[in-house]
Amino acid sequence: MSGDSMTPLRPDAPVVLEMSHISKTFGAVNALGDVSISLRQGEVLALVGDNGAGKSTLIKILSGFHHADSGSIRLKGEEIRFNSPRDARAKGIETVYQDLALIGDLSIYHNMFIGREQHRRVLWVNLLDNDRMRGLARSYLDTLGISIPDVNARVDMLSGGQRQCIAVARSIYSSPSILVLDEPLAALGVRESAHVLGLIQNLRRQRQVSVILIVHNYSQIFAVCDRINFLHAGEIVLDTPTSDTTEEELIRIVRSGLNSRAAGAAESGAEPAAGRE
Amino acid sequence: MAPVRAAQAVGDAPAGRLDRRAPQRLVALLSRYREASIAAVAVVLVIYFQFGSGGQFLSASLLSVVLRDTGRLALVAAGEVMLMITGEIDLSVSGSFSIAPYMMVLMSIGWGVPLAVGALIGVALGVLVGFVNGIITVRLRIPSLITTVGTLFLLQGIVVSVYNSQPVIAPVQEPFNAIFGENLFQPPDRLLSWHGVTAFTPFLWAAAVMGVLALVLHRTTFGLHTIATGSNIIGAREIGVSTDRVKICNFMIAGGCAAFAGIINTAQFASADPQAGSPLLTLQAIAAAVIGGTSLLGGSGTVVGALIGAFVVATLNNGLVMVGAQATVSDIYLGLAIIAAMILSVQLDRFRTRRRR
Repeated sequence: MSGDSMTPLRPDAPVVLEMSHISKTFGAVNALGDVSISLRQGEVLALVGDNGAGKSTLIKILSGFHHADSGSIRLKGEEIRFNSPRDARAKGIETVYQDLALIGDLSIYHNMFIGREQHRRVLWVNLLDNDRMRGLARSYLDTLGISIPDVNARVDMLSGGQRQCIAVARSIYSSPSILVLDEPLAALGVRESAHVLGLIQNLRRQRQVSVILIVHNYSQIFAVCDRINFLHAGEIVLDTPTSDTTEEELIRIVRSGLNSRAAGAAESGAEPAAGRE
Repeated sequence: MAPVRAAQAVGDAPAGRLDRRAPQRLVALLSRYREASIAAVAVVLVIYFQFGSGGQFLSASLLSVVLRDTGRLALVAAGEVMLMITGEIDLSVSGSFSIAPYMMVLMSIGWGVPLAVGALIGVALGVLVGFVNGIITVRLRIPSLITTVGTLFLLQGIVVSVYNSQPVIAPVQEPFNAIFGENLFQPPDRLLSWHGVTAFTPFLWAAAVMGVLALVLHRTTFGLHTIATGSNIIGAREIGVSTDRVKICNFMIAGGCAAFAGIINTAQFASADPQAGSPLLTLQAIAAAVIGGTSLLGGSGTVVGALIGAFVVATLNNGLVMVGAQATVSDIYLGLAIIAAMILSVQLDRFRTRRRR
């Protein structure tokens, strides 16, 4: 694993993202209470928490898919408001969703470029430049060391691991300043996981990309993350640098944190996600 | 870092096992080129009717009728295919088919509006109907099946009540009629003559519109987003596709195509009949789309397939009479054809899914 090659976060790294006092309800369900997180340049932040803790909701607000009921988002000091995921992508925030957001009926290369299609002007109309997109997708996937039989293949035909690789590749293609990954390793084998974690490390080392990572596997967190935010029942209950804690301690904190809140949150039978996979 | 071998070669069979996998390959081929399989069906039908009718089917007089019907149906089906790919459906297309030419003719008679201008207004009306269908479906979250049943009755009611349900003789204005559907064909004419070509006007317009729509579907961002919307609507939204806008635009395309088809129909018969666009036309257009390989579940569909599907429907409608069947029997075969097409489509989809696992 790439734990030994981990470069420490520069102490003077500026804060690039601040989400303050974010709340969100879906009908009667209170998904997020009052959540604030911040992210520094080149930082890899782990977002952990049980199923239904609000992790996905939080990152979908950041990606422009959901709108927060209240709270504010500041990107590099500037207050922003996203009306759609396209706005967020235009601002350099790329997201790999848990469901991957791949279009099964489209080819790999169309999936790579959907939302930022390459065009060729023929007469007065902008037509898709399929040859260009095909070539770019093929060479980019090669550069990343992701071997895919044929970029013309429909995504429906791919295995779970292959899809995940495509989704991650798509998100980093445009050199985002902030990369959000919702369980990017869930369907990957050991080698593929190591590879994707290596990609994340490279991005952060070479391009100072900031990453928010939702993972359930705690050893992966300690391999790549600088800081851990623990989300429980719509609140951040723990915010600690990875260097200040250990895997065992984190598991203990998460367990006890769950137990102390279990009565109030009525989450009986909820298992901490530690040690799964 | 070593390259990840996340990839298993898809469809790379060793040459030795080719024979055993031949049937699977055939199915794979059919699932990829659905147009080819439906075209084969069309050819078989034509051969059958040609022999069954003692060589009457491939005559100029009958082909001109079959291709006229094909054109009318294909135009309506073309817009329907685009909409069906987004996962929605429009049952009100026959309403637009009736109301657009009716309005064109009444404006011409009543206010002296030139047919060409009236036609533009008619198509705009069809687009507007599509827009209303789209807004109601997307913004108010009414299933399109229900929305468009409502607008279907609404439009039909308006057309019937406006002029006491009477067909109106349409004025003939050149070159409008020559361009949009004039039929000079008479039985002794040869098919490959100017008069023969005029019999194909609706077909030629349908082919032209379908060419444009096929280009839009496969070569533009809008087409890509149309497929994405029907294939995985949540994923499409997550990646920034404005699925609502895509759906509304395709409702407008469906309405516009149907209105245009109605106008061509009126130009050809020089009459605007409030009953011309019966709900049966909608159902036949949907049948043409489905037989042509468009999924009712969205995500996949082919405009070219719909043209061949329309030809199959028109051939069944006209050919069965030629081989001596009662006109009413053709619906039985059409029904069986639709069910067979759906079974084939579902089985091919299942095959595709199995390959994935």
